[in-house]
Amino acid sequence: MLSYVVRRLFHTLIVLFGISLIVFFAIRLTGDPAVAMFQGAGEPSKEALDQIRKALGLDKPLWQQYLLFIGDMLTGDMGVSFRNQQPVLQLIMERMGATLTLAFAGIFVAVLIAFPVGILSAVKRGSFMDMFGRIFSLIGISFPNFWLAIMLILIFAVNLQWLPASGYNGFEYLILPAISLGLILSGVLARLIRSSMLDVLHQHYIRTARAKGVAEWVVIIRHALRNALIPTITFLGLQFGALLGGVVILEQVFSWPGVGRLVIDAINDRDYPLVQGSVLILAFMLMLVNLFVDLLYGIIDPRIKLGRERS
Amino acid sequence: MKKNFLLGVTAALIGATALTACSGGSQTASSVKKEEIVVAITEDPRGSLDPIDTFLVTWGSIASNIFDGLLERGEDLKLRPGLAESWEYKDPKTLEFKLRKGVAFQNGEPFNAESVKFTFDRLLGPEGEKSPQRSNYDAIDKVEVIDEHTVVFKLKKPDPVLLTKLAGYGAMIVPPKYLKEKGDANFNTNPIGTGPFKVTEYVKDDHISMEANAKYWGGSPKVKKVKYRIIPEATTRIAELQTGAVDIAARIPASQAKTIESNKDLSLQKSGSPTVRFIRFDVSKPPMDNVKVRQAINYAIDKQAIIDKILNGYGKAISTIQGDISFGNDPNLKPYPYDPAKAKQLLHDAGVQPNTKLTLSIVGSDAVFKEVAQAVSAYLKEVGLAVEIKPQDVQTLNNDLIPKAKAGEMFQFGWGGWTLDFDNTAYLLYKKGQFWNPSYGSPEVDKLLDAERNSVSQEERQKIFYQLDKVLIDEAVDVPLYQDMTLWGVNKKVKGFVTPPDDRLRLKDVSFE
Repeated sequence: MLSYVVRRLFHTLIVLFGISLIVFFAIRLTGDPAVAMFQGAGEPSKEALDQIRKALGLDKPLWQQYLLFIGDMLTGDMGVSFRNQQPVLQLIMERMGATLTLAFAGIFVAVLIAFPVGILSAVKRGSFMDMFGRIFSLIGISFPNFWLAIMLILIFAVNLQWLPASGYNGFEYLILPAISLGLILSGVLARLIRSSMLDVLHQHYIRTARAKGVAEWVVIIRHALRNALIPTITFLGLQFGALLGGVVILEQVFSWPGVGRLVIDAINDRDYPLVQGSVLILAFMLMLVNLFVDLLYGIIDPRIKLGRERS
Repeated sequence: MKKNFLLGVTAALIGATALTACSGGSQTASSVKKEEIVVAITEDPRGSLDPIDTFLVTWGSIASNIFDGLLERGEDLKLRPGLAESWEYKDPKTLEFKLRKGVAFQNGEPFNAESVKFTFDRLLGPEGEKSPQRSNYDAIDKVEVIDEHTVVFKLKKPDPVLLTKLAGYGAMIVPPKYLKEKGDANFNTNPIGTGPFKVTEYVKDDHISMEANAKYWGGSPKVKKVKYRIIPEATTRIAELQTGAVDIAARIPASQAKTIESNKDLSLQKSGSPTVRFIRFDVSKPPMDNVKVRQAINYAIDKQAIIDKILNGYGKAISTIQGDISFGNDPNLKPYPYDPAKAKQLLHDAGVQPNTKLTLSIVGSDAVFKEVAQAVSAYLKEVGLAVEIKPQDVQTLNNDLIPKAKAGEMFQFGWGGWTLDFDNTAYLLYKKGQFWNPSYGSPEVDKLLDAERNSVSQEERQKIFYQLDKVLIDEAVDVPLYQDMTLWGVNKKVKGFVTPPDDRLRLKDVSFE
């Protein structure tokens, strides 16, 4: 187990190195940060541009810039933002709190809705409950999240005045963004749980369990659900990884200060260090989440062994 | 059958949600007298309030309350004394300022000649090297301290727009002692100026809180606190305004103006904007090299209809690519009238074949301009031109395609020019070889631009600009479509708010009923 984790972490390093190469060169294909600084106004004379490029270290040959970047990375220094000279790591970490809060809350809401809906739909297949569940998921999947978010704001903030419309200031500010995110996620999740449950419910061991007279809820929760969890966990793991990059549209609508807006701004500004740093950190976190999910498989289903197969 | 049922339920659900959303009046939250003005703006000044770090209008909306320049520009856009009481050109390259006495920074540090010198040494020294502001002030050779309240600017070359620039972004006076002690990085989020409000907290992309500077040299502000909230989504800004959580909201889209107007607690306030929207021609690409074709396109587009139908009337027709508040705009000149017959004739004379294909590159994320582009395409189709609209990423379009003459025959352009002086825009867009002007050049235009730049007489410059305006209209290097109008949503309890045409909010005299 431990050696498996160590080996996976080692792979992570190699992948990160590859990503560093790609992001370093890709972002440099997208445009000149010195020009981007003048967006909208200003006088980008040739001299002014050259001077800024020099001050930002962009006049050096590419390979040299890359070596400097990698060298700094190895010492844990991700550089400073071109725009405000603040350390990249600090800028990202300041945002992580808001992003993680929203990601966890969204997944929590999704799980809270999707599990009962998915399980009931599967168990009472073809019933009214099933139809409701399927319509519900269809709606969850088909609603554009910004539309849902705006509707929630209009209903609960503007008309009923129960909740604040936007901001990041405490628990009540989290409710609407979390519901918007959770409802959308729950659509897919409920469908996934329903179909995995249906698969499992047809297995022989379920019939056996029922034949042995095990209480129905025990059959469903202990025997069926547990085995239906694998695809669900995979989905949640992938979703969570994606959510770490921020839910840009929801962050925008709820003016939520998450990582997504930071990265989008950085890309628009061609703020190379900030883009490089955030992509690497996000990639690293995504890989950690995946590793965690893989480890979780072994716990949920002891038949899944991690590491080298012994033959 | 089953499908129909599904559709029905979905439709009913959506309908119900929408109904709930529309019904019910809005109530304003509290009747307690408020001490804090909350302003919703669209974007963060990228994590820094340092005057030399920025070019963003959003910085101006916030920081005009924190800092002062030697001069300032009021809501009427006229220059007036700021931290300098008076100034005088000793000769075209020597400018002397008498400074206001008894002024202190928000941390108690005195404002004096040293602070002015320090500010410009910083901008023109190593710290300013990364600054997009620096090139605005490169006419300044050095600043000399004459006595505690007198400074002299020695110039390398005359700069007719310098006084305007000294009221602008990069020239805000900063405190030497504070900066030396706490450093430049700290200044980004904990800035100190001489202005009416002092920053108490800055959380990027969320909010900036300020408290009144009771010792402000121009008199104590009327409210105790100001909070800027960064809310990028227009619908959310409006929702916050409706709930009463926000008192002033910037950038109301024309399409949502009615929501504000129909709310009895809110008022919609309009102001002109320096920003103009236009289509530029790349004259290096035939048939755009033919002036008749360029004129034909100008005749073919009904700009007033675009303003009325797409902008709901919130825009102004313009004759050149400068707004009517810009120095150099000749108010007597008229835009090209809508005359499709004449356009057809001109195209015929120019020998342009029917259905000639032209590309129009636009900013893909600009929803309003997308509609404008579609209208333009329809108008041009009527006169026999087939326009292909190509949406592009804003940075790619502005920083790669246009400078390299790869944006096609026509492309979208929008520009304000914060100095409100045609020099800024005209020089950079019509002088051949400038970054955004790889293709167009004319000896006559070049001569006028140089003449304007080398004169410090505003009267003479205005004459030159009027001449230039005429030439540009005849040359038809672009299609000036309209000047933006900025819409603000304001709670009716707010008193003393004047919409700023340059987006630089001044909140000192704003209060609550």
